[in-house]
Amino acid sequence: MAEARAPYILVIGGGKVGYYLTKHLLEAGYEVALVEKDRARAAALGSHLGRCAILVGDGDEMAFLASTGIERASVVAAVTGDDEDNLVACQLARRTFEVPRTLARVNNPRNVRLFHQLGVDVAVSATDVILGVIDSELAHQGDVRELPLDGTEASLVRITVPVGPLVGHRTDEVASLAQERILLVVRGGAPIEATSPLEAGDQVVVFSRRPAADLIHTDLVAAPVGG
Amino acid sequence: MAADGHDVTVIDSLESAFDRLGQDFPGTMVVGSGVDQDVLERAGIDRADCFLSVTNGDNRNIMAAQIAREIFHVGKVMTRIYDPIRERVYRELGLYTYCPTLVGAGIARTYFDEGAGAADAARGAVTGAAPEPLGAPLPPVAVGAEGRGDG
Repeated sequence: MAEARAPYILVIGGGKVGYYLTKHLLEAGYEVALVEKDRARAAALGSHLGRCAILVGDGDEMAFLASTGIERASVVAAVTGDDEDNLVACQLARRTFEVPRTLARVNNPRNVRLFHQLGVDVAVSATDVILGVIDSELAHQGDVRELPLDGTEASLVRITVPVGPLVGHRTDEVASLAQERILLVVRGGAPIEATSPLEAGDQVVVFSRRPAADLIHTDLVAAPVGG
Repeated sequence: MAADGHDVTVIDSLESAFDRLGQDFPGTMVVGSGVDQDVLERAGIDRADCFLSVTNGDNRNIMAAQIAREIFHVGKVMTRIYDPIRERVYRELGLYTYCPTLVGAGIARTYFDEGAGAADAARGAVTGAAPEPLGAPLPPVAVGAEGRGDG
């Protein structure tokens, strides 16, 4: 009787990103093969990653790719330091080997959109991710979204609690939120008690008659008032 | 091409590569990566009628050509791919490609089998130009060319 097999993931590029990605995928129980073209680097990776298959070759070379079992891969993740190599690896995986899902690491943030247009399913820019974090950390305002309610002055506002002064306080201890109607606090994908102390990453959904900009830029930034 | 009166811009990641174009090159030179959309815009790709990518890196050529075609909608886009298998894949995907490896192998086979006259004729056929004697100057390059592969 056939045993259900773990999904097979092919990682292309054995730099730091490829190494840690492969390590975590293995720990999560996936079948993983890591492609690295530098022989010495591949040998070093092999001694660290153990049961993982390290394949020495060029992730853009068709004959080599065909020898990796790429056609049965569920995902190909191209994470070398060169955007053009990642693009071509993903395109070959998709068009020639019919891999259902391709993921590329992108160094130039402008290439995220380009890669989508050129058929890569997921393009991840570390630069973008870090920029976003710096933006929200420096602004101390978290990620705020507003949904205006038709026919009223009011809106639904969703605030993602940033690392900063809000953490550890209940919503009724925060000056701006104390006057508003808290509809929901979500943590880890589930609603929690609105009276729980806030943690970074919590999403607070508020019914407010004030513009979201006021909620963020005045009271929310200020230190919380005592309960 | 520039000598023929075409408005030619050359992109290369190495400034020193432009030395080989000579003092009297009438075109424009832009330093930067041919797969960087900012650089391509700086080179005026939005006004280009033709685009040719001939760096030493197949993937860089492929990516640059796709940017020219899909993002900037350049009318005629051509790219060089050394790897014959990759060249076939991207030709089937609609890029206008050529593979020096296959072209060279074809000329060699013709020369060895049939002699210089037949090989010269074959060169004319595969390059689309009149047969040239050996030692002729290198053909000029157009927008998106990077002379070296180490950018």
